[in-house]
Amino acid sequence: MTQTDILSSEQEDLRLLRESARTLFERAGGSDRARQLRDAGSGFDPEMVRELAEAGVFGVAVPEDQGGLGMGLAAGGVIAEEVGRVIAPEPVVLTIGLSLGLLRRLCPDHPKMAQLIGGEISLAVAWQERGPDGAPADATCRYADGKLTGGKAWVVGAIGSHGFLVVAEQDDGPVLVLAEADAQGLVIDKRTQADGSSLGELSFSGTPAVELARGGAVPTALAEAVADATALAAAELVGLSERAFEITLDYIKTREQFDKPIGSFQVIQHRAVELNVMCEVAQAGVREALAQMDSETDPKVRAPIASRAKARAVTAAKRITRDAIQLHGAVGYTDEFDIGLYLNRALVLSAWLGDDAYHRRIWFEAREAEGAAQ
Amino acid sequence: MTDWNAISDVEFRKEVRQFFEAEYPEELRHLPHRPKFAEIEHWHRKLHAKGWVAPAWPAEFGGMGLNAAKLLIFYEEQQRWGVNRGRDMGVQMVGPLIIKFGTQEQKDYWLPRILSCEDIWCQGYSEPGAGSDLANLRTRAEIDGDDFVINGQKIWTTMAHDATHIFMLVRTDPDAPKKQQGISFLLAPMNQPGVDVRTITTLSGETEFCEVFFDNARTPRENLVGELNKGWTMAKALLSFERIFIGSPSLAQNALGQLESFARGRGAFDDPVFRDRFAQAALDVEDHAALYARFADQLKRGETLGADVSMLKIWVTECFQRITELMIEAAGPDGGSIGPLQVGNVSVDVLSSFYKARPTTIYGGSNEIQRNILSKAVLGLPG
Ligand SMILES: Cc1cc2nc3c(=O)[nH]c(=O)nc-3n(C[C@H](O)[C@H](O)[C@H](O)COP(=O)(O)OP(=O)(O)OC[C@H]3O[C@@H](n4cnc5c(N)ncnc54)[C@H](O)[C@@H]3O)c2cc1C
Repeated sequence: MTQTDILSSEQEDLRLLRESARTLFERAGGSDRARQLRDAGSGFDPEMVRELAEAGVFGVAVPEDQGGLGMGLAAGGVIAEEVGRVIAPEPVVLTIGLSLGLLRRLCPDHPKMAQLIGGEISLAVAWQERGPDGAPADATCRYADGKLTGGKAWVVGAIGSHGFLVVAEQDDGPVLVLAEADAQGLVIDKRTQADGSSLGELSFSGTPAVELARGGAVPTALAEAVADATALAAAELVGLSERAFEITLDYIKTREQFDKPIGSFQVIQHRAVELNVMCEVAQAGVREALAQMDSETDPKVRAPIASRAKARAVTAAKRITRDAIQLHGAVGYTDEFDIGLYLNRALVLSAWLGDDAYHRRIWFEAREAEGAAQ
Repeated sequence: MTDWNAISDVEFRKEVRQFFEAEYPEELRHLPHRPKFAEIEHWHRKLHAKGWVAPAWPAEFGGMGLNAAKLLIFYEEQQRWGVNRGRDMGVQMVGPLIIKFGTQEQKDYWLPRILSCEDIWCQGYSEPGAGSDLANLRTRAEIDGDDFVINGQKIWTTMAHDATHIFMLVRTDPDAPKKQQGISFLLAPMNQPGVDVRTITTLSGETEFCEVFFDNARTPRENLVGELNKGWTMAKALLSFERIFIGSPSLAQNALGQLESFARGRGAFDDPVFRDRFAQAALDVEDHAALYARFADQLKRGETLGADVSMLKIWVTECFQRITELMIEAAGPDGGSIGPLQVGNVSVDVLSSFYKARPTTIYGGSNEIQRNILSKAVLGLPG
């Protein structure tokens, strides 16, 4: 095969993957399903998780020799975009990016790998900690004699997951451990987010946990997994933005005031075009970033690529969802119309793993460091 | 009766501040939602006893009779202490209209009841087909004996589920040659079989606005304010008042104060980029206040405001939105979380401020409509 043949057959794989993910989500009820799950307060749907697993979703970026599909992050991005389009609450990016991202790098033979890929379980990842001023702070959570003591904050997917992958400190350095969801001495304080999902604040007091990996490999793998998840969250925001834009475009074509569709007013037309351009730029940038991350192995290079993706996607999603409300007028401010669900989900995804201002700073710092090294 | 305008601004500010700090119930400070009347009734009683319910109304009607400068101080202090506006549509909207266009009987009857909150008002202008194009309204009122009979639907009626009365624009002459003609301004009681109120949930899960259905609802003929079929011009007069009210710096000032304590507590000012963004927002608010004072002076001199007052609303609402967006940024990983966030001894409900800021560019004449007004009526652009 020539270089172009390889490229186009890869593109073809991704196209098929996108189609099957879209069909799956749409058959399941699209964004209505997200609304129903939110109203029921039940988080996500375990049945849907199993269906997604059957379609190969969770193992998409796991190498084939570790039981995955080996299609890379670019394929993960395709799925994340589809998740974003229907604002599906299932822990897709969390599993592909963080939980499997950590396990496949640190302990690829662990039985939890197969269970995660098979959609039998989900695991939340706990690594950040809250300082006294409420902002993120250095880690102090301890692991000794098989027990955890301390706390972790901003744990996505804490409710409904079967266990926690916790990054902690022990006497001779960092360690990754697994605590079961119902472990003794584990208290989960839940905080509701704009989209109805929850963030967990965990506190451990002598909570039993099993060591999975230790040493310098742990923070390296964590940074890699966080970079993966960051870029995938960006892709989710791209899908979300795209769909929010489509909904808005439909609305301004049909809503009439002053005896014409509001989409006939030039100011509205220009605004729609701006949002569309913003959406396309974000999609192009994020897809390119994911592909680059697949062909790059140096973590120092991969991290700022992920930042580039998230910075762009957050900026676009914030602007698109907020303008979408404005263009809808008062109906946009109701819960009844779907567009508000998109705004709320964008708030949550923007805050997760760093917003645009944060990632622009990270990107710039990495660039400066690179320049200094050369 | 005190002539508030005779004392110095400094003295006046001191007096207002003291009253709020001493009397305003702590648990009602910076309420994140719109309260029902019952929740703030105890505060309203104090305010009423003090004679401070209607700072802008002339003293002869039971108001404080404040001039524009004093009024600004009053609102500033209100915002500073996080004093809730209460159920003020009577005071802010229908009261001034009755004062300006009502008969003596209407003034005597309605104004005291507004002040005491015996009547609680909601504003029934918008309809499903009449938002920005308000003149497109279809709700009908027909004369039947001593009454008007009302049929149709209003929507987005803020706090209608907690109101006793509605002031509304209705179509009284469907055959008038222009949409703006044939509209009248009516007052109607809500508590009657022909009025059905359904709440609408907002995207933040609050129930603060409603749909109101009229099915042969009735209101006495004497509840027509102004002349029959002349409601549009009156409502427009009220709108320009509403614009200076929602164009006032208070919402943005209040949000800026919250942003500052939150950002400081969270250490966000360590970042020079954030400092710059904050300074930008703070100066946006400060310079807006200068522009606002210019319009306020105009009122002080007894002049009527022109179409240019729209620029206040555009500037301050968009500034308010940027400030709440900065709060979210300062909240970092908590930026998607609902409810108050604690920093030191202050607690700031970041998302509730964000949600509150969103519709300010939609209601009171959307910012697109304000820009249309400015480009045509002020800049004289063709089309
Ligand atoms: C929180 C909230 C509280 C409210 N409370 C009340 C209340 O108590 N009583 C009441 O009567 N109403 C109330 N309203 C309704 C408010 O007045 C309307 O939302 C407003 O008039 C806009 O109408 P609309 O929502 O139908 O939007 P539309 O008029 O449908 O506008 C949709 C979009 O099109 C734009 N647009 C429309 N026409 C033009 C044009 N010619 N040129 C350019 N752009 C245009 C608008 O700016 C907007 O972005 C409330 C609204 C909100 C959001």
